[in-house]
Amino acid sequence: MAADKQTKLLAKQLFKLSVVNGVVSPEQVAGVLGWVEKTSPHRPVALLKAYQHRIALELAKSRAEVEHAGPVGDATLKQIEAAMTKRYARPVTATAKANPKLLAGLRVRVGSDIYESSVAGQLATLSV
Amino acid sequence: MSNVIEQIESQIAKLSTKVARKNTGLIRTIADGVAKIEGLSDVMYNEMVSFPGGVIGIALNLEEDEVGCVILGDVSQLKQGDEVATTGKLLSIPVGKALLGRVVDALGRPVDGKGPIDSKETYPVEKIAPGIIVRKSVSQPLFTGIMAIDSMIPIGRGQRELIIGDRGTGKTTICIDTIINQARINKVGLASGDKGFRPVYSIYVAVGQKQSNIVRTISALEAADALQYTIIVAAPAADNPANQYLAPFSGAALGEWFMENGMDALIVYDDLSKHAVAYRQISLILKRPSGREAYPGDVFYLHSRLLERSARLDGKGSLTALPVIETQAGDVSAYIPTNVISITDGQIFLETDLFNQGIRPAVSVGLSVSRVGSSAQIKVTKQVGGKLKGELAQFRELAAFAQFGSDLDAKTKATLDRGARIVELFKQPQLNPVAIEVQASVLWVLQKSYFDSLEVKHIVTAANSLKDYLTSRKADLLTQIRNEAKLTDPIETGLKAAADEWKNTFSAK
Ligand SMILES: Nc1ncnc2c1ncn2[C@@H]1O[C@H](COP(=O)(O)OP(=O)(O)O)[C@@H](O)[C@H]1O
Ligand SMILES: [Mg+2]
Repeated sequence: MAADKQTKLLAKQLFKLSVVNGVVSPEQVAGVLGWVEKTSPHRPVALLKAYQHRIALELAKSRAEVEHAGPVGDATLKQIEAAMTKRYARPVTATAKANPKLLAGLRVRVGSDIYESSVAGQLATLSV
Repeated sequence: MSNVIEQIESQIAKLSTKVARKNTGLIRTIADGVAKIEGLSDVMYNEMVSFPGGVIGIALNLEEDEVGCVILGDVSQLKQGDEVATTGKLLSIPVGKALLGRVVDALGRPVDGKGPIDSKETYPVEKIAPGIIVRKSVSQPLFTGIMAIDSMIPIGRGQRELIIGDRGTGKTTICIDTIINQARINKVGLASGDKGFRPVYSIYVAVGQKQSNIVRTISALEAADALQYTIIVAAPAADNPANQYLAPFSGAALGEWFMENGMDALIVYDDLSKHAVAYRQISLILKRPSGREAYPGDVFYLHSRLLERSARLDGKGSLTALPVIETQAGDVSAYIPTNVISITDGQIFLETDLFNQGIRPAVSVGLSVSRVGSSAQIKVTKQVGGKLKGELAQFRELAAFAQFGSDLDAKTKATLDRGARIVELFKQPQLNPVAIEVQASVLWVLQKSYFDSLEVKHIVTAANSLKDYLTSRKADLLTQIRNEAKLTDPIETGLKAAADEWKNTFSAK
């Protein structure tokens, strides 16, 4: 069952506590989890799920997922990291993930933004 | 040499690896044509959002961690977890003269099976209405071809006149007649070669109507050869509420294009009650708070921003609006009727009682007003019809008393006789708009008491015979009245001769 309004609000507050200087802090997360265990708030499962969802979204913003068809070198990943770190003004780490469907080129996802320079992507834009 | 080739190649490589950035989100829930989407952090209000399979949605609710989108199209293939992307474009539809004669849906796509529409321009569906400075006051007439309206509740170009009444009182009929009349005037005007002639293009927006009714309207326009000057935007009852919500705004975009390009257009919204219901449905699914009659609080803003787009623009054209509201048991004080009454420049109120008594069109003269149209009325109509409204009001008042008393003084009797004749004269069959010059002539004949000697029950036949006589035998006189638009001595002489001649032939029968 979906979280009710109060649970959502609490999850949001806990999430805010977990982010220090724009970065999710593992210590703070541990602290929050400890607090939840100790005080056992109303509907803990829904609360933790909502909390986890927010943390996951936040972490995705600091992660550049690089999908590629051919091989990508470490140098390219470093380059992407640097570019995205600059663009979003927060530390971004890049991870590689093979995706042969792209035919050639790259697709980088940071949070909800997608940067596409793959052949498949260009074909798709042509087709609309 | 190879150096140059390399340069070109590297240029090509640079271009073809250009990175496209898009902002995406995932469908969290989808139901009733509305998707809740997570992500889409860059989305704008009213932006087009693309769903898998080429389906388009519009972002209507921007919340902190999710976006509510209404989906325009087939939702059956969409599911939770699907990726959607922003397009960076506000919803636009194709516009222009290429759409005349066509039937399109809320997104401007043809639905009449007549093939693709070759339009070169698009126009945003939602747009801020023209400001105060660029507006000009209404001063040019728009003739409906309905005598009761043109003579007593005149409409001007750029005006917003509400057509309100219960179901089956002839609201749609009045709008269709008006569109047919524009087509008739366009044909005469364009054939005359007059350089200053401004045709009126019509847009008929059908919201939440039965498909069969829309078909009937289209065939009526086709039969009257009016479709060539008309665009029909159809969002029938079976269409999803998002399209019904959108259709009037799409129609306004079509009309605004004519106005912005120096032309005159007329738009009919048939009807805004069903439009409000579609909007309420969307709002409830989006979980917006609801207020009176469960309508969302911004339903007033919905209709005001729609109707504000009708105007007459300085140095450009005009957009005249005839919004339609369907009342329940004549209740004009319900939420949506009061809202729309307060936004428009007047209303034409149709009454079931009148309709059932055979007084058709069932215009209630006492309750109908046009707040700006009289400055657009041509002089001849003012000269022959200026007193009609007062005479009818007096008649209604006295008629109510006359039911009780038997002895009536001569003056009362004269007022009653005259009123009864005016009521008869204004009866008019549907799909039969009357040219303004014929209207003026008939009213002149009434004013000069030619009808007084006839029995009330013969007035309708007499008026029809007079109209026939004038159009078939006195075309020159009619053209003269149309061109001069006021009574002059030669015109009055001509009218007198015509009336005498007609009276002789008519009473001889
Ligand atoms: N002036 C008229 N003379 C005769 N019949 C009319 C007239 N106006 C409307 N009607 C008839 O009345 C019915 C209802 O008209 P309609 O315009 O569809 O009403 P509404 O749009 O108000 O529901 C239709 O069958 C129409 O043919
Ligand atoms: Mg109708």
